[in-house]
Amino acid sequence: MSLTDLMSMAKPNLESRGKILAKIHGRELLNCFLCIRCTSGCTALKLLELKPHEIEKLVNLGFVDELVSSDIIWTCATCLKCFQRCPQKASPYHVIIALRNLAVEREAKVPEAYMKAVSQILEGGLAEQVQKVTNNKMETCDRESLKLFKIKPPKEGFQTVFLKALEEK
Amino acid sequence: MTRIGVYVCHCGLNIAGVVDVENVANYALTLPNVAVARHYTYMCSEPGQSMIQDDIKTQKLDRIVIATCSPRMHEETFRKAVSEAGLNPYLVEIVNLREQVSWPHSEEPKKATEKAKALVRMGVARVKLLEPLERQTVSVEKNVLVVGGGIAGIQASLDLANAGFKVYLVEKAPSIGGRMAQLDKTFPTLDCSACILTPKMVDAGKHQNITLLTNSEVTHVKGFVGNYEVTVLKNPRFVDEARCVGCELCTQSCPVKIPDKFNENLSQTRAISIFSPHAVPKVATIRPEYCLRLKTKNKTVCGKCVQACETKAINFGQEPEVIQLKVGGVVLALGSEVFDASRMFEFGYGRFPNVISNIEFERISDASGPTGGKILNPKSRKPPNSIIFVQCVGSRDKRFHEYCCRVGCMISLKQAILAREKLGKDVDIYVCYNDLRAFGKGYEEFYRRARDMGINFMAGIPSDIRSTPDGSLYFEVFESGTNKLLELHADLVVLANGLVPSEGIGKMKELFHVLKSRDGFLLEAHPKLRPLECSTAGIFLAGACQGPKDIPDTVAQASGAAAKIIDLLSRGAIELEPLKAAVDKDLCSGCRVCEALCPFTAIEMKRKEKAGKEELRVEVIEALCQGCGLCSAACPTGAIKIEQYGNKQVLAQVDAAFAGAAHKGGSHR
Repeated sequence: MSLTDLMSMAKPNLESRGKILAKIHGRELLNCFLCIRCTSGCTALKLLELKPHEIEKLVNLGFVDELVSSDIIWTCATCLKCFQRCPQKASPYHVIIALRNLAVEREAKVPEAYMKAVSQILEGGLAEQVQKVTNNKMETCDRESLKLFKIKPPKEGFQTVFLKALEEK
Repeated sequence: MTRIGVYVCHCGLNIAGVVDVENVANYALTLPNVAVARHYTYMCSEPGQSMIQDDIKTQKLDRIVIATCSPRMHEETFRKAVSEAGLNPYLVEIVNLREQVSWPHSEEPKKATEKAKALVRMGVARVKLLEPLERQTVSVEKNVLVVGGGIAGIQASLDLANAGFKVYLVEKAPSIGGRMAQLDKTFPTLDCSACILTPKMVDAGKHQNITLLTNSEVTHVKGFVGNYEVTVLKNPRFVDEARCVGCELCTQSCPVKIPDKFNENLSQTRAISIFSPHAVPKVATIRPEYCLRLKTKNKTVCGKCVQACETKAINFGQEPEVIQLKVGGVVLALGSEVFDASRMFEFGYGRFPNVISNIEFERISDASGPTGGKILNPKSRKPPNSIIFVQCVGSRDKRFHEYCCRVGCMISLKQAILAREKLGKDVDIYVCYNDLRAFGKGYEEFYRRARDMGINFMAGIPSDIRSTPDGSLYFEVFESGTNKLLELHADLVVLANGLVPSEGIGKMKELFHVLKSRDGFLLEAHPKLRPLECSTAGIFLAGACQGPKDIPDTVAQASGAAAKIIDLLSRGAIELEPLKAAVDKDLCSGCRVCEALCPFTAIEMKRKEKAGKEELRVEVIEALCQGCGLCSAACPTGAIKIEQYGNKQVLAQVDAAFAGAAHKGGSHR
């Protein structure tokens, strides 16, 4: 490969790039021409410095490794604005998800919140715990007092199925 | 008693947004001889024009002042309108309230209104003194000269010839075809250039109405629109065109190897050779600067081609031929040249053999080129593993040419796609660009296609290109998409050289009395409304000599220029603008100042006998005069004046200009 990133001396990783291309089913979601609309509207940019156009371009050139091991791919709030508004029908969102998958595959460090969410699902079948709310009369209400149906614990064997599905991915 | 109508145009809000048009119209009514003064949103519109026409009839107006945009815009429109109402078209005066008032003074509406009033006052003072003029009619030659045998010249010639005009197509190279003949494929459809050009070349060569004059150049031009006399010098080929069958036996026998210009000097040909594989006419030419016999002027030297030629076509005694033509109109299709990148030291063109220009890439990629269409590194003769295209070489660069070359981006996209198709998907292809401009029909889709083919686009241009000891190239580029400094290695760098005015353009400018624009290309009469013609009547422009152009635009402009000539010459006679120089023979002293100044050679010195003495007197060739006024300004005795712009009219305007200032007692300012 005839390309070097002189800031980190990294070389493009074409194998990983190929994996990502397989995950996003071809090149279309990478077809960026740098209008930078995605970054202009990115929900995660202001607080967390996520720049979707840079991710598009870096993956396009094959600089995947640095991204996979970085925290930045985990800051995407998955609002999907970038996907919706891209004039070239590219999607930084899909690329970011593919990068996350690759990170898990490589057993790179996954932020704690994500691991928490996974164990949460494993335990209760839901990504969030069932919570109580406070109404405008300052009364604390649970689901029952709001006449919402009761959430049942997951079926028996759910954990085995879930873990198996995770492994397959 | 003169009755003047004054019409103030709002031009939407272009004028009315700054100038108080009602105030100006009311003021005009107070001026002497003004019978009617009106203002209206668009004077040039149908209701505006008929307002003037109605007033001419009902109010018996005999002079019209229209305060509106520049006369270059609508003077002709209003002349036509008043002549339809029965008034002589030259009794109209245009006062420019837009380019000279509202646009430059948009910040100062009060002062602008005062200036508008002053200009209207001057216009009224002048219009009174205008005299009716009649247009002169001259007959025209129905032949056309086309200079330049590239795609522009070929297209214009074919259109004109099909319309029944006799065309002389003059080309300085031994074959027509021009730049397009050197190209491999054409964007955005990837048609093979030869496949779409060669049939047109053959048509032009065979057409009964087209006379091909290859290996020739225009040396003299005389005359005026409809009646040009052109001298063409046909340089000797030293081969009889009628006898040569294009078998190339002579080329095979010739011992002198010379660089092949058609292949951008990437290969060699012989001192006697056919210019290109698809040449029209397919006739060999001897290059006298290389041929052993012609160089030594010794009849016993070499002569191998004479022995080889079976048709006895070779004639070392051939002389240059001078051809006189009479033509009614001229199409200049001079084309352009490719920027010489060796002027940019930093990119290493000329220093590193594997840095090539885009036109060289075309020859390398072309099936009839030096490598038979295989993309090979010119140094190692191996297919490259990585190719980098660098955009904007010599264009968008104030050190060389400020303009955008308009074709560089598309050429690089095309060449990157060709490289991908020919070299396969394992080759790294990068395009380092500044702004990627894909603006034409189907061009953006072509850019997307290139991205889909895995061609990498780097938003950034390198500062310099360096070579490693083993001859491969590398450079750094700060890629603004990734915000990273990247290092690129390549076996082959292709520079996107821009198009520049051709060398001969200066000579042609002198010969045909046309103008150049700031960028060095030929100047059209108006950038939007008269893009196909020069300001000199009867001379038209086609293709890249007017500005860098791709093939679709060139062909469109060539057909347009041909249609303009058909429009000009088809009636067999043309009307000439009567605003010309006129000479008072009693005042002329024969000093010849005007003769030297006239840019259109419209002034002739005539010898006259007067009281036994021979005297020189000026005569204006009306058909040539464009009414520019240089002679009138320079004449020391005031003998020469431009109709409607004599002392009488101009001084009346000057008086009117100061009429308003007089009562301020000169204290102002």
